Amino acid sequence: MLNFKLLEYSLSSLWRRKEKNLALVVVYALVIATLGSVLLLTHALKTEAVMTLTASPEIVVQRMLGGRHELIPIDYAQTIAEFPGVGKVTPRVWGYYYDSLVKANLTLVGLAGYHEQLELLAGRFPQAPDEGVIGAGVADAFGPQIGDLLVLEDSSKRRTEFHVSGIFRSQSNLLTNDLVVLQEGALRDFFGIPDGFATDLTVQVFNPREIDTIARKIAYFLPDSRPITRDELLHTYDSLFNWRSGMMLAVFMSALMAFLILAWDRATGISAEEKREIGILKALGWETSHILGAKLREALLISLTAFIVGLLLAWLHVFVLGAPVLMPLLKGWSVLFPTFDLPRVIDLYQLAILGFVTIVPYLACTLIPAWKAASSDPDDVMRG
Amino acid sequence: MGVDINNSGPLIRIDEVSKIYHHGRPDEVCALQNISLEILQGEVVALTGPSGSGKSTLLSLIGCMSRPTQGTIYLGERRVSRLPEAFLARIRRESYGFVFQQYHLLRDVSVLDNLMFPLYPAAMPVKTMRERALVLLDSFSLTDKQKTRVRQLSGGEQQRVALARALMADPPIIIADEPTAHLDAGLTAELLTMLTELHAEGRTIIIATHDPVVYQSSLITRTVALRHGKLVDDEKVGAGQ
Amino acid sequence: MILHPGILALLFGSTLILLMLLVAGGVALRIVRYWNADSGSATQLQLERQTWLVSTLLKYAFGFQIISVLLFLFTLEEIHPLFVGAMCATGSLNANLVGWLVLLVKIALVFAAAVWLAINYLDQRTEDTPLVRLKYRLLLLLIPVVGLDLWLQWEYFSGLRPQMITSCCGSLFSAEGEGVISTLAGLPIEQAMPLFFIVVTLYAVVLLANLRWRFVALRHLLFVAAVLLFFVSLAALVSFLSLYIYQMPSHQCPFDMLQGHYYYIGYPIYAGLFMATLFAMLPGLCRPLATTSSLERELECCEPMWLRLALFGLILFLLSSCWQMLFGPLRLLGY
Repeated sequence: MLNFKLLEYSLSSLWRRKEKNLALVVVYALVIATLGSVLLLTHALKTEAVMTLTASPEIVVQRMLGGRHELIPIDYAQTIAEFPGVGKVTPRVWGYYYDSLVKANLTLVGLAGYHEQLELLAGRFPQAPDEGVIGAGVADAFGPQIGDLLVLEDSSKRRTEFHVSGIFRSQSNLLTNDLVVLQEGALRDFFGIPDGFATDLTVQVFNPREIDTIARKIAYFLPDSRPITRDELLHTYDSLFNWRSGMMLAVFMSALMAFLILAWDRATGISAEEKREIGILKALGWETSHILGAKLREALLISLTAFIVGLLLAWLHVFVLGAPVLMPLLKGWSVLFPTFDLPRVIDLYQLAILGFVTIVPYLACTLIPAWKAASSDPDDVMRG
Repeated sequence: MGVDINNSGPLIRIDEVSKIYHHGRPDEVCALQNISLEILQGEVVALTGPSGSGKSTLLSLIGCMSRPTQGTIYLGERRVSRLPEAFLARIRRESYGFVFQQYHLLRDVSVLDNLMFPLYPAAMPVKTMRERALVLLDSFSLTDKQKTRVRQLSGGEQQRVALARALMADPPIIIADEPTAHLDAGLTAELLTMLTELHAEGRTIIIATHDPVVYQSSLITRTVALRHGKLVDDEKVGAGQ
Repeated sequence: MILHPGILALLFGSTLILLMLLVAGGVALRIVRYWNADSGSATQLQLERQTWLVSTLLKYAFGFQIISVLLFLFTLEEIHPLFVGAMCATGSLNANLVGWLVLLVKIALVFAAAVWLAINYLDQRTEDTPLVRLKYRLLLLLIPVVGLDLWLQWEYFSGLRPQMITSCCGSLFSAEGEGVISTLAGLPIEQAMPLFFIVVTLYAVVLLANLRWRFVALRHLLFVAAVLLFFVSLAALVSFLSLYIYQMPSHQCPFDMLQGHYYYIGYPIYAGLFMATLFAMLPGLCRPLATTSSLERELECCEPMWLRLALFGLILFLLSSCWQMLFGPLRLLGY
């Protein structure tokens, strides 16, 4: 009962100083929006990466030579396929291509094992050596549409032309964005990869509990190979994203600090009118704790309002606008940024963190100024 | 847990009270020195004296707004001179009605809220509080102004709001600090009439004033004069009750 | 060290709580030295006003600490995929030796802060505040614990190495493991269940007796019963209640029940247990403190409220934890 009355008083007090409080809420909401964008974006990217990897093969086997990644003989696939529990073993031929004109990295992939997982936006898979399917990012960067030509320089600096026969769509854009899919033979010619060798092997394992055992077996029987399990990749991505969002959070914490100093300043410098009001109420029978309670409720109302507004802003920034401000900072393992629709996931945990790092310090910072304001002498009004 | 007002003893008993500001420091000021005073229920006491004589300090001690540096104050049977501030605040809102110099109203708040806000910490439900406020506003002919902000009221109206506010908790004691300092003759007369009515209802009234119109009026039953923080004169005037 | 947003938030929050307590500690030192209720001096007035600052600081710190415990558990849940073999929050706790210690200190702090606030509440209701010195000495004792909480958290998180192989609750809480918790999990259900219900019944009887009569000895008995209830209930949660909650005969994690997957049933369970323990401990704890008549009067005022809150907590705890046992399809006894 008492709390409701004091809450009503706090609302009235906030309303009477609405210009000042509005300014505070706006700045506060912007700080929350920035921090919120970081958390929402990293979480969305992480979800996206996990989605991508779930579709990827259980084990990828590379060959190591002198500590470096080397082409793997295709007959290794036979050896692996004979292990019990192993499904299909598919040699993959692919490579990176850097285009100095567009200044972008493309991933060129031979048509094998891939098309099962991917969906075409339009067109068809390559049926002739001079046909290719491209990712949406490549289409944007180079400009060609279906039926147009994509011009690339091969390993011996010869111009090679490909007809674009299709454009990719995928549940996750990260996977296909920088992709160019060619026929395997065409790709071997392009990169100069000899027959009988592949870039790596993908291994399908039926029972997820056997993945680790099979990976160990592969390493034992083919000592120059390096099996990478999907879980290991997931860990790597997880750490990567946590690290990135942690870094960003640490950076933006300083913005929060700056804001808190502002809030402290505002809370300390209460106006003469507000001071007078507190003096009158104290003289008439308000206790220090009542004033303190009312002031802290004001702070709580401000934080909650700013939190909701900031969260909405962050949501708009990340999911509607595609995080134009943060994207370049957070990604960066590929030059072609997917202009994709991020999966619109909001995780309660992320909200809890955001709330904890923004609301808690604000409240803590208003405590002392609120107490100072509340602990004036009740007989001040008598002494003029 | 208000104050038991019984008719046997004095309502307020002040015993050897001193108030020293900045005690033990070079700028030490002795505002009151060894004051002893008993106020009975139903008295109308005028505290007189030039400014700086300690009127306001004594009034704030009587009104439980501050605590004496030395000495004891009893309100009824209760020793209030060493109570924690929270308890004093409670006594203020339950047993006292205050009328200040310059009214001290909340200027940006409606008349109704001005009456209600000071009592928000009390246990009274908002509904009862509002009903009581409306009755009071009616008796001070302010009903049509209840939603108006105090800033927009005339001086006379503000004075009536201040008095209505003092009566919200139906207090047995009214404390007024230089209530006529900024009033013209008409408003002063009006205020005195209103105070007379409150006195007739059985309330004890204590007024700090240096306005002769007030301390010479027929309302006053006793004048207490202060000089330099000391009690120099204490006389019963008029009929007394 | 993993640079994870949740970890940053936790460390940041604990630093803040420590700062708040340091401010309170400064006031506490002055109060212990200069408090003189009979003085009308400005210093005394100033100190009196500062007590409001301290109680508010403590109230907030208490609230933040509760959130921090929950966030800690959530974070453990979030980071468990980083550890090989960890399948839930328990796995993350096992990743490093101090994990369980952090949790222990955090829970101890929540209880300590709650008890402090209760004593403070009692004291502030009296006119003569006889417990002031005691209160602020206790507060000074609380500060090192908050510091310890921060330090242990730092040690725990900085000692985390991803890819570390840990045991998850399945193996930790399985009967073959060693240590207290696996011993608890290994308790044969035929013994654990009667023990739990005997303690609950004992507690309930003592609580009801307390509501009826006012003997001091009963209050002390209730204190003992509350402590028993707390530990036996935690053991019961690990050993058999969790099995009913998850409806699986081998899943014994005490943290998973806080997840949305299990309809957040863990919140009423732990909130109920916390209330039942705390409010039943308070009368017994405060009795020896009530040395003056004013305190005794206030304690008489508060006790019925505390006892009712304890009863409410017990009902909440029993309802939310035993619901599945009574109505769920899983049957353990009789196997």
